[in-house]
Parts: sequence; structure tokens; C-alpha cells
Amino acid sequence: MSSPTEATAGTAEASASAVRVFAATAWREHGLAALLLAPALLCVLLFFVYPLGHAVVGAFAIPAAGDAPPGWGLGHFARAFDLYGTDIVFTGVLVSSSVLLTGVLAVVIAGYLTLGETPWAVATLRWLYRWPLFIPFIVAAQMMRSFLAKNGLMNNTLVGLGVLEPIQTIGFLDWRGVVATFVWKQLPFVTLLVAGAMAALDRSTVEAARNLGAGRLRILLEIVLPQVKRTLAVALVLSFVTMMSVLSVPVMINAGSPTLITVDMAYRINAHGDYGVANALGIISYLMTGLVAWIYLKHGIRQHGGDPR
Amino acid sequence: MTAALSRLPGWVLRGLILGLLAFAIFGPLVNLGLWAVTEKWYFPAKLPMQYGFAFWERVFSPRGGAMQSLANSLLIAASTVALSLALSIPAGYALARLRLPMRTAIMLLFLLPQAFPNLPVYMNIAAIFYRLELNGTILGVVLVHTVHGLVLSVWIAAAAFAAVDRSLEEAARNIGAGPLRTFATVTLPLAAPGLMASAIFVFLESLDEFTGTYFVGVPDVTTLPLLMFNASMGGNYQVAAITALILLVPSIGFMLFVERFLKAEVLSKMGS
Amino acid sequence: MKAQTTLLAAAALATALATGAPTPGYAETVLNVVTAGDQNMVDYVNDFLAPRFEMANPGVKVRAAGTGPGDGGSQKILEKLEAQQKAGTAAWDTDVAVVHQVGAGKLVEARLLAKYRDQVASGKLVTRSTAENALGTDVGGYVLPMFHSQIALAYNPDLVKNPPKSYAELVEWAKANPRQFGYNGIKGGMSGVGFVMGWVAANSDLGAKLEKGPYDPADKAKIEQALGSLKAFNQTITFTPGNAGTLDMLNRGEIAAGPVWVDMFYTWQADGRLNPSVKLALLAPGLPGQPMYYVVPAKAANAALAAKFIDMATSPEVQAEGIVKRFNWYPGIDAQHVQAKLDPATWNKLFTDVTPEDLASKGKPFPLGPYFKDIMESYERVVAN
Repeated sequence: MSSPTEATAGTAEASASAVRVFAATAWREHGLAALLLAPALLCVLLFFVYPLGHAVVGAFAIPAAGDAPPGWGLGHFARAFDLYGTDIVFTGVLVSSSVLLTGVLAVVIAGYLTLGETPWAVATLRWLYRWPLFIPFIVAAQMMRSFLAKNGLMNNTLVGLGVLEPIQTIGFLDWRGVVATFVWKQLPFVTLLVAGAMAALDRSTVEAARNLGAGRLRILLEIVLPQVKRTLAVALVLSFVTMMSVLSVPVMINAGSPTLITVDMAYRINAHGDYGVANALGIISYLMTGLVAWIYLKHGIRQHGGDPR
Repeated sequence: MTAALSRLPGWVLRGLILGLLAFAIFGPLVNLGLWAVTEKWYFPAKLPMQYGFAFWERVFSPRGGAMQSLANSLLIAASTVALSLALSIPAGYALARLRLPMRTAIMLLFLLPQAFPNLPVYMNIAAIFYRLELNGTILGVVLVHTVHGLVLSVWIAAAAFAAVDRSLEEAARNIGAGPLRTFATVTLPLAAPGLMASAIFVFLESLDEFTGTYFVGVPDVTTLPLLMFNASMGGNYQVAAITALILLVPSIGFMLFVERFLKAEVLSKMGS
Repeated sequence: MKAQTTLLAAAALATALATGAPTPGYAETVLNVVTAGDQNMVDYVNDFLAPRFEMANPGVKVRAAGTGPGDGGSQKILEKLEAQQKAGTAAWDTDVAVVHQVGAGKLVEARLLAKYRDQVASGKLVTRSTAENALGTDVGGYVLPMFHSQIALAYNPDLVKNPPKSYAELVEWAKANPRQFGYNGIKGGMSGVGFVMGWVAANSDLGAKLEKGPYDPADKAKIEQALGSLKAFNQTITFTPGNAGTLDMLNRGEIAAGPVWVDMFYTWQADGRLNPSVKLALLAPGLPGQPMYYVVPAKAANAALAAKFIDMATSPEVQAEGIVKRFNWYPGIDAQHVQAKLDPATWNKLFTDVTPEDLASKGKPFPLGPYFKDIMESYERVVAN
């Protein structure tokens, strides 16, 4: 009868060899995959995850000041709210509205592309809506700057056509211009994804409803939309993230306050070198994005889960 | 009003709405075109007072900086595409063909750069690059652009490889071709259209990228978007419009070219 | 696929060569000039200073880069030099830098600059206090003023029949003509910052104390009180996107008046970008002006050449031809040296709307560093929030 130590040693031996066998099999099976994936993963880890960690640390780390030693705390967040509280709320409201507006318009356009029955209109629409997709944000911002101004081309055209009097023209170079530019730029992207999802749907349910005499709007809202909710949710979340990352549009179009916190972050870094408050604002933007993503995806996936497909 | 509208023939209504949409989409573009050929335009003139190409000369003069910016932009975009493909072809192949225990987790990891607002990350990359003396260098900017575009290129590459018929690969293996040869002669050419699409997307994203370059490149590396930004903020709308047009040429050119590649299959495989 | 990759590689190579990658065998010294401020600063170096210097010094190429307007641009230069100092680099990549006063003060305090003024002939041609003192920090020997500039109220006389002469009159006018006054806040450039500084001086009793000190942290309360009324004022105005934005909106008839840099104003008029009928005026009690400084980083790669460049740039001839005549700034060196090199008509052009007496009485310096910081922060807390 082997002693307890021998038994333990035996088990240890067995487990060690089991690990070795597992490692060997794992290496044979997954080693190649790991090797192929390593460079790309490393890139993401080094140049995204590491700076991200930097941002999180920087938001909470309070440097030494006076007699106080360096430590952790919410001081930067307090200052961020103190200085930019209005901007934070403004950002949340503006970006959410832009995303929602984009979603509604995208569903309308994609719906018409799928259910439309006038070939020339559908073809024209399909050709038309894609143009802003390939125009970078910064070019869009520049165009809108002189298009939407009080005496910009849009107002001049309206005045020229007799729709408006010169005195009635208003400049859109504030939050409305920012919303307009965001929607203008993101609409083709969301529409593309949603239209793609709608095109991949089974037409039989649509045909059945048409045969029963349902109007196209009803078909869109009750049959098509629920089936593409997941794609729509993903597209809207991606749009939210994109809008929260754009610096050029708010800087070039929205001159005054309140403004988006992206501008404030850049200002803190460039004018003051204040990484603490800038990173705190960054964490706040992540929380906002996370919250919105959670809401949209939960809604989208729940609907998808309840679908009898 | 609605009663009157409903009495209109359908094509008029459709035409009106499409016309409005066209105005909304092309109006700003026309505006850009006008500014690009303007020499003098101030209030209260509704259209440019003096047309001319004087500002084109200014933009393309040797000290104008536009040539250098254009060269920088192209070099950075080309390098980004090269680096992107080098990273995403193996990664996409692994994700599409090989069994992985943490496949979803890895796909999500690649999604990260597009899932988070990237401005805070760029700020911190700039600080890190300062220490590594990578700030203000072309390499630094290329790295930033590559990471941002990686999710797109990895996912598209994975979708492209997944769309290649396995039976063709097996047939090649059956007649004795080694794995590398099969990859090079069978898999890669079949996945090429999808890979080309991803290369084009990455090229365009890099060419148009502004925020990252603003933090990491200034003041030594000037790309066309930065030049445009400076011109616009400096009130020099003519220069800004001309630079914007230069930026648009590859974008719109590739849009017309990539219509062929934006097939539903490739798009629907994204995200699986 | 192979053809495509080869094509891509060839394109990359071609562009690399086109960018002028240094070809071996042709020794050329590159002088790196980095300047904060608007695009006109970079234009000045590129279009005026660089050709002159390169002609006088064959084998030298001047490379100019801009870091952006406002103190943010100077901050960027500070960060660049600080990073190289921390990394222990032997020769830094900037030879000449042009910075604002706040930036210069920070650079001197961080010991990032070389004392070059004594080695430069034009160093003796400056006696103004701005060459010794930058908003309270002693910078003597490290800087030479490139120019002095002034903020003034630009207005369209067709739309503004009775231009306001003081801040108080401006508030009344803006109430009566909503959205017709525009300025660029504090994030868009220094003309807006200067306007806010002037507002604090006009609406509190701090006036001279802001310029000369001594700094008292308790004055923050007075500053915040003065800024309280600015928040209400901001409801009656339009925000513009920057120094150039104000001029642009004036030009396009979107605003009727706004604070601008005098030099940018004249340059735009000369360029045909601003209606020639627009005029300037100074608001009482005063609007700030500032010099920008030439500095040489402590470990510049080409320090001697940098000093030579600055010597040329601050010589009376260049100041007359470039600073005053072409770019409409007030000279950096003492006025009498420059006036001697110009004909009376050109010299007087600088003082068409804003006379020397106006300048003397209503042209103020920016507040001291600590007050400057307090006002900026209070603005964000009280006005922008």
C-alpha cells in the first residue's frame, strides 16, 4: 500500500503528464492558429488595449500635489463635471438624437428599397443614398460649414427660389448643423446594413401579407422591421461610437458652447496638457457608449430572441 | 395640403422627394465645387464674384505644402494597407478555417477599436509615443491607422476566406499540393476579391483619417485632412475646398469601383 | 493578387521617393522652424523668411511647421521639447520656435531654452519690457519679440452706424442687435481670449492689478463675479469658430462686429478676403495685445544657424519689409528702427483706424500668468457651464 505522499506524488505525476499531453495536443491543434493570430492580436493589445488601460488609470490617478502623495481618487471626475457638466448632458442628448434620427430615416429608405414597387424610383434611390458613405467626416464638415451658414448656399438657394426672404434666413452652424452633418454622413452606412439584412429576408411572409391586403407601411413596421432589429441595433450602436469619436465636425461647425465633450477632451490636452480631466471625460464617454450599447442590443436581441424563426 | 398632395400623380410625389434628397446630398458637394474655383466671394454675393484657378496655383506651389501632404497621405495609406493585409490575412484565415476555443472572444477583441470612442485612446497613444519617440513620425501614424482599420480588415478577411469552397482546397491537397502551396494558389486567389475590398476600405479610412493624425502626427507629419482642417479653421475656404476635392477623388473613384465588391454575401457574413 | 501587391509596393516606393527621402551624397542642413499661431504664421516663414534665408545661406533648407492657434499651439511645442528632454535626446528636432507669452514663460521655467539674445545683433534693438517679461515670468535673454499684435473690434460701418466705444456700450448694442456680435469663446483662438480678458478688466476693479500684480488668489471671487454678466451677454451673441472665423463671418454678413487681430484684419483686406469697408476700433478700458517670441531650444541641432535666422528675422530691414509691410504686424523691435526703413504712407497704414494714442491708452498686455489661468478656468466653470 503506497504511503499518502507517494499517492500524492503519483497524482501529481499523472496530472503533470496529462497537462503535457493536453499542451501538446493543444499546440498541435491550436498552435498554428495562435501563430497566425498573434501579430494582429499583439497589435490590438499594444496599440489599443494598453492605451485604453492608460486612459482608465489616468482618469483615476491623482498626481502628487503640495504635501499630498500621489494616489487614487475621483478628483478628475469632479473637475470634469464642474467644468463640463452641461457639455456632458449636451453630448448625450445630441448624439442619441442623431442616432435615432438616422435609424428612422434608414428604416424608411431601406424599407422603400425592399418594398418599393416603382423600379425607376427604387433604382434612383439606391444610387442616390450611397454617396455620403465615401465622403470623410472632415470633408463633410467643411462642406456643411459653408452650406448651412446664414448666407450659405442652402439659404441662398432657398432665397433664390423665392421660398424664403433674406431676413428669414437662419444659420445652422450650431447643434443643428452638427446633427445634420452626423445624420448626413451616417445614414448610408446604417441604410446599407439594414437594406442588406432586409434583402436577405424570406420574402414569403411579405408576399403573404401583401396577398392579405396589408399596406406596405404596415408590412414594414410589423413584419420586416422586427426581423432586422438586431442588425439595426448593431448599426446604430456603431454609429453612436463613431459620432462620439469624431473631432472635426464639432470643432468646425459648432463654435460656441455647449459643445461635444470630444472638443473638450482635445482642448484639455492641447491647451493645458491636462491628461487627468481629459481621461476622466474619456471614461465618461465610454460609460455613455456602454449604456447606449446595452440598451440597444438588449432591445434588439430580445426582439430577435422572441422571434419564432 | 395633404389632400392636394394625394391628388398629385405618384411620380410627381416620388420625384419631389427624390429631388429633395438629391439636393440634400449633392448640394453640399456643389458648394464644395464652387469654392474650389472661386477667387473672390463675399457677402452679399450669392455666387462667387470672381472665378479662377489662382488658389490651385497657391495650393500646388512648391512651398504650399499640399504636395508634401498628398505624398504623406498616400505613403501612410499604402503602408497601412500593406501592414493591415500582412496582419489580417493570417488572422482571417485562422478565424475562418481553424478551430479555435475562444473564437468569439477573439472576434470581440478585434471589435474593440471600433466599439470604443477612440479619441481618449488616441490622446494616450500620443503620450506613449512621445516617450518612445514615435510621435510625429510616419510609422507612428501608420500604426494608429492600422489598429483602427484592423477590425474591418480582419472581419472581411475572415468572411472572404469562409466563402471559399473547402472542396476546392481539399481537391488540391488530394493531388499532392502542400498546405502553403494550396493557400497561395487556390485559397488566396479565390478570396482575393474580398481581400481587395478590405484593402480598399482600409486605404480610404487611412486617407481620410483625421483625429488620430491630429494627436500623433502634428506638427511634423501633415496629411491632407490635417491640411484641410488648418485651411478651413484659417478661413481659407478656397484652399480647404481644393484639398477636399483632392481627398474626394480616390474616395469616389473607389466607390464606383467597389460597387462590384459590395455583394450581399460578403456583407452578411460579416459578424458571423 | 500578386500583380496587385506588386503594384501597391511600387506605388509606395514611388511616393517614398517623391517625398524627397534624403538622397545620399548631397549634404543639406535643414533648419526646423516650428511656430504656434494661425496659418498666417506658417505662411510668413514659408513665403517670406525662408526664401531670404536660403538665398543668403546656400545649402540650407528651412522647413516650417505649424502647431495650431492659441496657447494650445505653444503647449504642443512645450510637450515636444519636454518629451525630448525626458528621453535624453542629444540633438532636438526643433531649431527655432515661435511661441506665445504663456508658452515662453513655461519653456523658460522648464529650462528648455537657450540664452541667445546676447549673441544676436538685433538683440540690442529691443528695449520694450515685453522682451524681458512674459506675463510675470522673467524671460530676459531667452526671447526676442517677433512682432507685437493688438486685438481690436472690427465692425461693418454699413450695419453699425454708431460703433460702441466701450464694453458697456457694446453690451447695450448687442442687446439691441441680437446675434450681430460674434467672438470665438476661449477655445478657438486668442482674439476671443483677449476679449474675455478685457471684459474682466472692464467689469471689475482689478484692472491694473491684473497686469502688474501682485497675484492674489482671493481675487478669483471678483473674477467670477465679473464673468457672471458675460454669461448673460453670451446669449445675445453668435459664436464664431476661431480667429479667422470671426473675420469670415464678418465678411459673409453673418455678424456685424467682432474682436479680431489687427494684423489678420489688414492681411485679409489686402488678400481680397474681407470687404474693404470694414473698420477697426478699440473698446475702453482696453483690449489686450501680445508679442510672439522667437526662441531657440536648449539642445537645438543647429543652434548657431538658428540664432542667425532670428538675427535676420529681427533685423530692421526684415521687420520693415516683412512684419510691417507684408503682414501688417506692429514691429517686434523698437519702432524707431523700423520706421526709418519705411515710407510714411506704409507706416501710417498700420494706424489708419487705431491711432498711436489709442494704442497707448487702450492697448493693454495680457494679465499675469496666474490671473490668466484663473480667468480661463473661471470662464469654463461660470460661463460655459
